[in-house]
Amino acid sequence: MKRYYQITDLIVEMDTFGRTERQAVPYLADGVQKTDILIDSKWQSFREKFPFISEDESEYYCSAYSFYTQLVDFNGMMLHSSAVVKDGRAYLFSAPSGTGKSTHTQLWLEVFGKDVTILNDDKPALRRIDGTWYAYGTPWSGKHDISINTRVPLGGICVLRRGDVNKIEPYRGVGAIKDIFEQAPKYTNSDYVGKLLDLLNQLLCEVPVWQMDCNMDPEAARMSYAAMSGRKEN
Amino acid sequence: MKLKKGFVLREVAGETVVVPVEAELNFNGMITLNEAAKVLWSVLENETSTEDLVKAILSEFDVDEKTAQNDVDAFVQKLKGLDFLE
Repeated sequence: MKRYYQITDLIVEMDTFGRTERQAVPYLADGVQKTDILIDSKWQSFREKFPFISEDESEYYCSAYSFYTQLVDFNGMMLHSSAVVKDGRAYLFSAPSGTGKSTHTQLWLEVFGKDVTILNDDKPALRRIDGTWYAYGTPWSGKHDISINTRVPLGGICVLRRGDVNKIEPYRGVGAIKDIFEQAPKYTNSDYVGKLLDLLNQLLCEVPVWQMDCNMDPEAARMSYAAMSGRKEN
Repeated sequence: MKLKKGFVLREVAGETVVVPVEAELNFNGMITLNEAAKVLWSVLENETSTEDLVKAILSEFDVDEKTAQNDVDAFVQKLKGLDFLE
C-alpha cells in the first residue's frame, strides 16, 4: 500500500513491505499532500540479476538506493558510517565494511553509557539546511537495524582504520576526499555524481574530518570523543 | 587523440577531481589532477595532438620545451593506461 513518510525532513512516498515497511513505521506521515521523493525501488529487476537475495532484502536495498540517490537533489547524501550522538552533536565513523565502525560506536556506549545514542548504525543521511549540516536517522541502517527518527547537528566525521595504537588527527587533502567519496553511494548518472561532488566540496570545507587508527580498547572511544568534541571526557 | 565521454570534473576542497561515470570506463573511484593535468585535460576534451598539448603547457607555465614534452608524455601514458582516451 502506498504511504507517506517524513524522512530527513522530506516527504517520501513509497509502497513497500517487509523489513523496509517495519523500519519505516516511526517515519509515517500520512495525511500530507505533497511528495518530495517518490520511491520506485525496481527491486524486481534487481532480483532478476541477484536471485539468491530474498525479495525482502532486495526491496530494502533498492528502496535505500532510490532514496539516497534522490536525496542529492535536496542537499543531502548518505555516508556509509556509524553515527553516534553525544551532547547534542552527531559524530560519524566511516570506513569500508568490516573495519569496525559499529564496534567503535559500541565502545562509546560502553564508556559514556546513557549520554550516548546511536543515530544510525550504518547508513545515516546528511543534509545541509540553511548553512548547517545535520545527521539523520533513516529506515535504512544496515544489518543491525539500529536507527532513530531524529536529526542532530553534525559535529564531525572520522575515517577509521584498525590499528594497534590509538591515534587521531585532522584529515585533509586528497586522501580525505577519496575516503569519504568511497563511502558515499555510487551513482551511474553524471548529473547525480556532479551534485554529490558539489555537496562533498561543501561538506569537507565546513565539517571537521579526522583520521583515526584505533583498537578495541575503551580508551579509543575516550580519545575520539575528546578530539572530535574538543572537550575532555566527563 | 581525445578523452572518452562520461567524466565528471569538479573542484572539491581545493583539489581538482575527475570521476568516471560511464560503465565502459572501467575505473572505480576518482583521480585528481594537478595544475598541468588540468590544462591538458581541458585541451583533451576536443581532438588534439601531442604538439598542441605541449604548446598548451608552454603557454600556461614557465617551463622549457623538454620539461613540457615529458609532462605531456607522462600524462598521456597515464590516460592510455586507464583507457580514458578514444
